[in-house]
Amino acid sequence: MATPSPIPAGITKDQAFNMAQTEMEYRVELFNKLAQTCFVKCVDKRYKEAELNMGENSCIDRCVSKYWQVNGMVGQLLSVGKPPQQ
Amino acid sequence: MADANAEPAVGSSGSNESVTKIEPIRMPTIEEIRAQDVWNNCAVKSVASGVMGGGLGLMMGLFLGALDNPITNDTMTGRQQFVFTAKQMGQRSWSSCKTFAVMGLVFSAAECIIEKARAKHDTTNTAFAGCVTGGSMSARGGPKAACIGCAGFATFSVLIEKFFDRHT
Repeated sequence: MATPSPIPAGITKDQAFNMAQTEMEYRVELFNKLAQTCFVKCVDKRYKEAELNMGENSCIDRCVSKYWQVNGMVGQLLSVGKPPQQ
Repeated sequence: MADANAEPAVGSSGSNESVTKIEPIRMPTIEEIRAQDVWNNCAVKSVASGVMGGGLGLMMGLFLGALDNPITNDTMTGRQQFVFTAKQMGQRSWSSCKTFAVMGLVFSAAECIIEKARAKHDTTNTAFAGCVTGGSMSARGGPKAACIGCAGFATFSVLIEKFFDRHT
């Protein structure tokens, strides 16, 4: 990340900054939701030890992978302009 | 989560001096993650369990081998009796070491694989792993012996697991 990427033509600096801010907010929201969902789903509420055991690890791996994949698919469908199919 | 880290607990306007400062949550470094990931590997875990089982078997075999056959005949001198007993202890402890090492290895590998596949941390993992271990160890006696070994070892391992997890 040594040199920042050049701003594409036709967009003011303000607009670029707003876009970056929106993108950042989206990313933060995505991460928070992902962590919350997979934590609620995978980790047992009665904490017996501090570290994640093997079952929780593989559950979290699968959960994050599925979430990310679905997120990508929905994002693609929305960006194309069609409503996502049931 | 991606929120700001915990800030130091601020006491009410300047009253108490002994405010405990809460340390911010520290993300693990890549070396810590790698060190923890070593134990996530099923092969490493099962080999370590096998080694521990071998050590346990060695100790147990040594102890039981000494009690095995107390020689009382007078035809051997004291030194010969000592040598004989020592050899017997060595044999017994080596065979018991091998048995326990295999048992530990198989049990740990089975439990690790089953837990990875199910993605849940339960006692049913222990029961299945115990069944696999008991069945494979007594498979030489035929299918009936395998079933009995499976059931017996599964029960034993579940009891041991519950015993060690009593306080939680």
